[in-house]
Amino acid sequence: MLEIYDQVQEACAFIRQQWNHDPHAGVILGTGLGSLVEKIEVEAMIDYDQIPHFPRSTVISHRGRLVCGKLCGLPVMVMEGRFHMYEGYPLKKITLPVRVMKHMGAQLLVVSNACGGMNPYFKCGDIMLIEDHINLLGDNPLIGINDDRLGPRFPDMSEPYDLHLVDKALELARKNDIVAHKGVFVAVSGPNLETRAEYRFLRAIGCDAVGMSTVPEVIVAVHSGMRVIGFSVITDMCLPDALEAADVAKIIATATSAEPKLRTLVSGILDYERARLGKA
Amino acid sequence: MKDRIAEACRKIRQERMLFPEVAIILGSGLGGLADSIEHPTKIPYSQIPHFPVTSAQGHAGNLVLGFLSGVPVIAMQGRIHRYEDFTPDDVCFPLRCMQHLGAQTLIVSNASGGVNPRYISGDLVVIDQHINFLGQPSPAEHDQATLSRNVDIYHHGLIERAHDHARRNGFTLHQGTYLATLGPTYETRAEYRFFRKSGADVVGMSTVPEVLCASQLGMRVLAFSIVTNVALPDHSTSTNHMEVISWSEIAAPKLRHIVTGLLQELAGPAD
Repeated sequence: MLEIYDQVQEACAFIRQQWNHDPHAGVILGTGLGSLVEKIEVEAMIDYDQIPHFPRSTVISHRGRLVCGKLCGLPVMVMEGRFHMYEGYPLKKITLPVRVMKHMGAQLLVVSNACGGMNPYFKCGDIMLIEDHINLLGDNPLIGINDDRLGPRFPDMSEPYDLHLVDKALELARKNDIVAHKGVFVAVSGPNLETRAEYRFLRAIGCDAVGMSTVPEVIVAVHSGMRVIGFSVITDMCLPDALEAADVAKIIATATSAEPKLRTLVSGILDYERARLGKA
Repeated sequence: MKDRIAEACRKIRQERMLFPEVAIILGSGLGGLADSIEHPTKIPYSQIPHFPVTSAQGHAGNLVLGFLSGVPVIAMQGRIHRYEDFTPDDVCFPLRCMQHLGAQTLIVSNASGGVNPRYISGDLVVIDQHINFLGQPSPAEHDQATLSRNVDIYHHGLIERAHDHARRNGFTLHQGTYLATLGPTYETRAEYRFFRKSGADVVGMSTVPEVLCASQLGMRVLAFSIVTNVALPDHSTSTNHMEVISWSEIAAPKLRHIVTGLLQELAGPAD
């Protein structure tokens, strides 16, 4: 963990050469959700492979560049394309961009993913606000000698997601006639999808949605003292007794068609943040 | 591995010629028990070849040899955790050395979060089962009998005697299941609910690797958890490391009663 601080400094120095602003929020866009970028007043676009110490995204449907600019009048840094444990990257590497966002000045992490819904009340295309998570990755991005400059040795996890923002997002969803739930997200390493027995197990231990990302980034955001809001787009239903074979093309299509809802909610939250900052 | 153990033990014997009967591993905030060891020799881990060196707050990082209640003991003041990126082999290396030096019994303690709602902060739990959620196989180097089922990892006779001492000294000793996670994050509320459903009474980030290794080496194991915070997922409060350390200091005297009492029995005339 002791090498990370210097890596963050170097990455920030590089980004500041092209975009010298303090972002209010860092945004991570998940599978098929990249078109939120169209709404940004872009001021800089930097490919991951140019930024020192950044890993390279290897997944189709993830672009792999950092978009800096203004969204709803707030300065933001948006990751178009993210990294996953199943790509073989260590979790420390995957979460480095979050530390960079924090070091640039971001206080809020907005994270999104496409995931499987296990709660039978959910439908494909619904949005779930992440209220809490379970880490079944079998690993943790904070393993190693702790660097106290980055955060505490034993971060508290009693409220990793800002519950006030969760309520705000649900309110926005109601106003805009969007079906949104709140629930527990579980992260598994993947890349295989779950067996029916695994879905039963995950449902039994209290999970509403399952995916292969998000939890490492959230742990690091909490470690570094950021507030977090997480959106899951339910892109396929994982009901063990009526399971259909997963079709990646269909999953991406669902994500793409649900994307406008996500866009509405994310913009709404950023509007709310801007108003809150204005008052302060 | 054998050579590294022999080398480390040679160094320890140079510092102190003692054949310990009991190995003690002291967890968060419990290092104080090591101060009651009589005629102690303290050896910093950094001076012993191949020993991993610790970094966690509240962990001193010394091997202490001496007598407790008249019994020759060897104690680890400060332990090695998986969340510091040590391999299971690193975590168990000091234990293997202590066994090599002669210890036949392991007494181990940890600070843990209570998931059983009947527990309160400062309670002591004797562990009779565990659930391993460390996510990776324990001790990579298997000597023999790797596939044995280890029905009785935790020694029933010692557990019963621990209960006797708790009763005699008038405090509550629970008996329960310890669940080990990798850490270093404390659990989310959803994770606490999941662990409770899985049958765990306490949750922590240590103990299981050492206990599995000790059991493989044929040692008798007695393990305790100090409950430093009770996780009630529907009424969650935050956890911080200072609070964990201060509760374990409050509970430390109870553990001391049991450990010194048990050792007195060991030192007394053979029964």
